[in-house]
Amino acid sequence: MSEFTRPMEGATEIPPAGFNFENVSRNARLMEAWTNAKEQAEAMRKHHAQHGMDVAPMMAGGGYPNHMPLAKKTGTTIAGIVFKGGVVLGADTRATNGDEVAEKNCRKIHYVADNMYCCGAGTAADTDQTTALVASQLELLRMDLHLPHATSLRMKTAVTRISRLLFRYQGHVSAALILGGVDKAEGAQLYSIHPHGSSMRFAYTAMGSGSLAAISVLESAWEPDMEEADAVTLVQRAITAGIFNDLGSGSNCDICVIKNDGAVDYQRPSLTPNNTAPFRAAITRSSRMDMKPGTTPILDSKFVPHKGATLADVTVTEMEVS
Amino acid sequence: MDFAFGPEPCMAIGHDILDIGSRKAQAKRQRGALGDAMSPAPLELGMPGQFDLPNVEDPARYCRTNFASVCGTGDEHQAVKFAKGTTTLAFKFNDGIIISVDSRSTMGNYISSGTVQKIIKINPFLLGTMAGGAADCSFWERNLGMECRLYELRNGRRITVAAASKLLANVMSSYRGYGLSMGTMVTGWDETGPQLYYVDDDGTRLKGRYFSVGSGSMYAYGVLDTGYKPDLTVDEAIELGTRAIYHATHRDAASGGINNLYHMTKDGWKFIHAVDVNDLHYKYAEEKKNAMAT
Amino acid sequence: MSILSYNGGAMVAMAGKDCVGIAADRRLGVQLTTLATDFQKVFQLNDKLFVGLAGLATDVQTLHQELQFRLGLYKLKEEREMTPQVFSHLLSQLLYEKRFGPYFIEPIVAGLDAKGKPFLSGMDLIGATMTAEDFVVSGTCTGNLHGMCESLYKPDMDPDTLFETLAQSLLSAVDRDAISGWGGVVHIITKDGVTTKELKGRQD
Repeated sequence: MSEFTRPMEGATEIPPAGFNFENVSRNARLMEAWTNAKEQAEAMRKHHAQHGMDVAPMMAGGGYPNHMPLAKKTGTTIAGIVFKGGVVLGADTRATNGDEVAEKNCRKIHYVADNMYCCGAGTAADTDQTTALVASQLELLRMDLHLPHATSLRMKTAVTRISRLLFRYQGHVSAALILGGVDKAEGAQLYSIHPHGSSMRFAYTAMGSGSLAAISVLESAWEPDMEEADAVTLVQRAITAGIFNDLGSGSNCDICVIKNDGAVDYQRPSLTPNNTAPFRAAITRSSRMDMKPGTTPILDSKFVPHKGATLADVTVTEMEVS
Repeated sequence: MDFAFGPEPCMAIGHDILDIGSRKAQAKRQRGALGDAMSPAPLELGMPGQFDLPNVEDPARYCRTNFASVCGTGDEHQAVKFAKGTTTLAFKFNDGIIISVDSRSTMGNYISSGTVQKIIKINPFLLGTMAGGAADCSFWERNLGMECRLYELRNGRRITVAAASKLLANVMSSYRGYGLSMGTMVTGWDETGPQLYYVDDDGTRLKGRYFSVGSGSMYAYGVLDTGYKPDLTVDEAIELGTRAIYHATHRDAASGGINNLYHMTKDGWKFIHAVDVNDLHYKYAEEKKNAMAT
Repeated sequence: MSILSYNGGAMVAMAGKDCVGIAADRRLGVQLTTLATDFQKVFQLNDKLFVGLAGLATDVQTLHQELQFRLGLYKLKEEREMTPQVFSHLLSQLLYEKRFGPYFIEPIVAGLDAKGKPFLSGMDLIGATMTAEDFVVSGTCTGNLHGMCESLYKPDMDPDTLFETLAQSLLSAVDRDAISGWGGVVHIITKDGVTTKELKGRQD
């Protein structure tokens, strides 16, 4: 049987779940190729230099890609405390890409289950995906066990799942998490989970690049059995300390209160100490900033109306043969 | 003022005039071989007129690895990055020399300026071009202007292009390996006629009919090699110089902006034009379309 | 220098009133050498959904083909078009799946959702999604683009104003970036259709 008549087994299947490493060796080869090219150029320069003729720098035209691109980080301040009626979690809302603020209002308090939420610091994609994955596992578990109430799902289950996942990847999944919530077994609980998979239980804790600012506030003012309003204010103060004193943190303060009965009060935003709207509104714009139609020179313009629902006929893309 | 027919030099000028600014002269002077007032002051830290060198074991190496202003992205590892990126060209023909350059300055991928004057007027009969480190070029060509003027005052006649370019080349040799970056063409008209020299940071000094320097030079050479002949008319020569820069700016990301073009004649340099290369693009596109139609 | 800026390119998407726009430059280069000035990096995936793929050109094409495949499969299985929200999620998962061997692409997504409201999102190369109400940018001159958009953007623009704002933001941004530009393309998506305009950008 010819190759061409072999049934296309699996051609329409989506690959199995989990990480896919097929680009790893390609990317390693790319980096290696560029590094070698760079080293050869350097060696050539050195050789010429030793023999009294330096290759003119402008001829070398150097510049090979020399590092893997950076993923978006949440240079972050996150904090959580246990109070009399449950747990308060707090986070800032800045995401950075190198020196650049990539997002001014990102969500860092992630849903894990109805009775637990999780603050994430570290690489943005890792915190998003780790919490989402564990959330889906816990939901399946809850349905599997026919748990009667949201708080029947135990915090310990979540901590174990997350820390095993992180441990398996030896810190390469860089998620630093604060998990807060309540369950029937142990009441209100707060855990911090580090990227390598270690976890600890606290009455109050902070993480992220702004954790020093935040923890100093918590250390000085936290006390057992606080009232809810006082607890929220304390966490707000801790996060605000991070927002204003850590360059990696900024914008708003989000708060999530999980009460002992399982009720959740997610405030997003809870505080907006950096609201730029009034400043922007105060700017008198020059009329030159009004983009009048016809300002931009164009070479070609065309309008294509929507095709509408064409559900049955899938556009057939011709195979490229040239 | 008349540069061409001044009094003959009454003062004997040694070959050391060509060593001004170089360490060779200073070394001789310290050995007592030369004692005249024209030699530069000895190199000492903190002395005006000279660069302080970093107080490390190998200052040249330190400068080269931390303050080199190489073309392209070769200074990616450095904390200090310099403005650069260029296409410049100059060619001799029967009616003088055409000097044509772009005007873009880049720092990494960022375009730090689109309106740089890359042709430096050393004096009414001498022009220099700028490629490589902007600061290195403008500083040393300004310094060259000063030395050339001093030569005139001392000798009562204009310096030859050969001598002027040698002054610059000597400076470059003396700082060789310190990470200076300069690729320049020194052009002028002296008693021997139109002259064109290429001088770079290695101390290389070449005499030639045409040169192009900078990241876009390959593209400019393509056009020059195709269109160059010695008996171009002035208009044809201007057109060739313009077109070569346009093509370089189109292909080379580090070149662009405005095409500045000068014509060197026996009466000194003449400014010809400063045109936006983007306008040139559409002008040439139009001409091509018309040529295809006929 | 990172691999993301090996080929150069810039793109931006912006929301208007019941319309959304996406714009990108046209350059394909290898570092400082410009190879082509008609490279496609923004793709229409269905009537009201566009994706812009900024980054390494080889991955732009690979990822686009992968996305076409996934969208075709979705359409066959679900018998409906994918909404921008769903697509954004799919793309994010696709990128995160390759967390340890990523595509060198930072995509942006622009579209109109089921209610005809604008949807915008941007991602890093491993799929960390950020949704925005106003604009998202990606490519080799995000600093320039952020600056332009922050000053030119106004809420609730009509399609014509949205086009001019996008076009001016893009052109001004790429004129200060050596490795993007050489023309641009803008798509404006409204409830009726898509207007596509080729910009006359600087050619240096």
